[in-house]
Amino acid sequence: MAAAMELRCWGGDWGLPSVHTDSLVVLAYAKFSGTKLTVAPVDWTWKTLTASVPELVCGESVVQEPTQILNFLRKQRLNADYELTARQGADTMAYIALLEEKLRPALLHTFWVDAENYSNLTRPWFASRSPFPLNFFLPSRLANITLARILVTKGEGLLHRISEVEGKIYSDAKECLNLLSYRLGTANYFFDNSPTSLDAFVFGFLAPLHKADLTSSPLQSHLRQLDNLTRFCDNILAAHFNADKPCPLPPAMETMDANLQKLTQLVNKESNLIEKMDDNLRSSPQHKPHRPDPKSSLSSSKSSTPA
Amino acid sequence: MSLAAEAFVSQMAAAEPWPENATLYQPLKDDQILLSDHASSLAVQAYLRMCGLPVQVICRANAEYMSPSGKIPFIHVGNQVVSELGPIVQFTKAKGHTLSDSLDDVQRAEMKAYMELVYNMLLTAELYVQWCDDATAAEISRPRYSNPYSWPLGKILAYQKQWEVRRKMNAIGWGGKSLEQVYEDVSQCCQALSQRLGTQPYFFNKQATELDALVFGHLFTILTTRLTSTELAERVKSYSNLLSFCRRIEQTYFEDKGS
Repeated sequence: MAAAMELRCWGGDWGLPSVHTDSLVVLAYAKFSGTKLTVAPVDWTWKTLTASVPELVCGESVVQEPTQILNFLRKQRLNADYELTARQGADTMAYIALLEEKLRPALLHTFWVDAENYSNLTRPWFASRSPFPLNFFLPSRLANITLARILVTKGEGLLHRISEVEGKIYSDAKECLNLLSYRLGTANYFFDNSPTSLDAFVFGFLAPLHKADLTSSPLQSHLRQLDNLTRFCDNILAAHFNADKPCPLPPAMETMDANLQKLTQLVNKESNLIEKMDDNLRSSPQHKPHRPDPKSSLSSSKSSTPA
Repeated sequence: MSLAAEAFVSQMAAAEPWPENATLYQPLKDDQILLSDHASSLAVQAYLRMCGLPVQVICRANAEYMSPSGKIPFIHVGNQVVSELGPIVQFTKAKGHTLSDSLDDVQRAEMKAYMELVYNMLLTAELYVQWCDDATAAEISRPRYSNPYSWPLGKILAYQKQWEVRRKMNAIGWGGKSLEQVYEDVSQCCQALSQRLGTQPYFFNKQATELDALVFGHLFTILTTRLTSTELAERVKSYSNLLSFCRRIEQTYFEDKGS
């Protein structure tokens, strides 16, 4: 614990200390375990191109990837998981795997592949934080890497078209959010009353989705319906990151009429589903306009409720 | 499958009961099938036995290409074809057979999380050991994969598959891992499973669920498959409750056929 530790990560916005999921995970864990970290944002430096973010530099060792960084901190006896039982530790691993497999593709898609969000939010943000001339090609490079990753991991065999994969990754993500919500229940943190690495991971994944100013996002509206998860994010921000940055936006949102909010979300969900069905029916040749069509519209409107 | 098509298929599935002539397709058992495929296939077989649904296992050299999603195994029931454990579980649920009904929401969340852990760690490690480790790939995976085809088709297909798997490993960040790190990950995963299982007979209460089928499929295959090194099997063997779990499931669901 002797040497000072420096974390390189992306900078913050929208009330968060960092907009990048992995960096947020490490920052949150550092707060929970009481680590003294100096945060060195890579914004406006040439490191945006070359460094892999987040990166922890401690004396002479350099560690990358959130799981490795957390392991490293644990070895330095900065452990937020000290009080967990063996079984809870196993649960932590399982839930982190769930987040990585089910939620991460949809998050990456929402921020980097969805055309509206990318051009209105992500691209200007990253372009404005990079030095000239990186701002011209860095965001599109990151977007290409992300698209390739989604297609390789979720695209099935030769169907390398993103539209086929979209429906599946979003429904997986919504299911994942529901499962997290069931698991959290009414508690403040996932295990007892003190935050652990699982809380850090969930916070890192959910907070950007919760706070970002996304124009079109069914996933964000789904998250907003799950009150206990949004309360979880706000709690952690208020309790651990409050001193650094105030969060102005959420109180304004809460004053909106709850019923009106629920109604708009339901209408959005229905219209999204109808749009998606329309696209599917148009693009798939075997579902030509025959008898089956009216039946499938009935059955899929029934299936919207369990989703 | 798109959402509308899925809903349509499950409605059709609900209409008919499980037929007697349901079949499960997998690659040739002795010469062709690889560790990861055999694990997935065994998991599905275990699940169907746990549900009490009869299924006949048929080995075909081109099973991978017949499958609708390109993954093994797949089942042919009535006039529908469903592949992979997740969709098969949903399909049997639409027909009215399910193992996880008695679980409450939190337990179901846990079950799904543990299943993802197995997919994320065990399956990925199996794929890595098979295709990214040069020794294993050259001695076992490529020869086996190209077995039913004549030269040079077999060679081309084997290298294509290897390239595809390595690309996927790079995309998820496993490309830079060493074999030792992968074995370490497998140990951690087994430790998590072992701690969750504890002294219970199954993962949830006294009843088997799809998680038990999946874990059995992977662990049993790792324990009984011969690779270039026995390191992977050794790592699993060090957890005795997992060993007895595998043995118990094998005795309960797989050995009544012989006697």
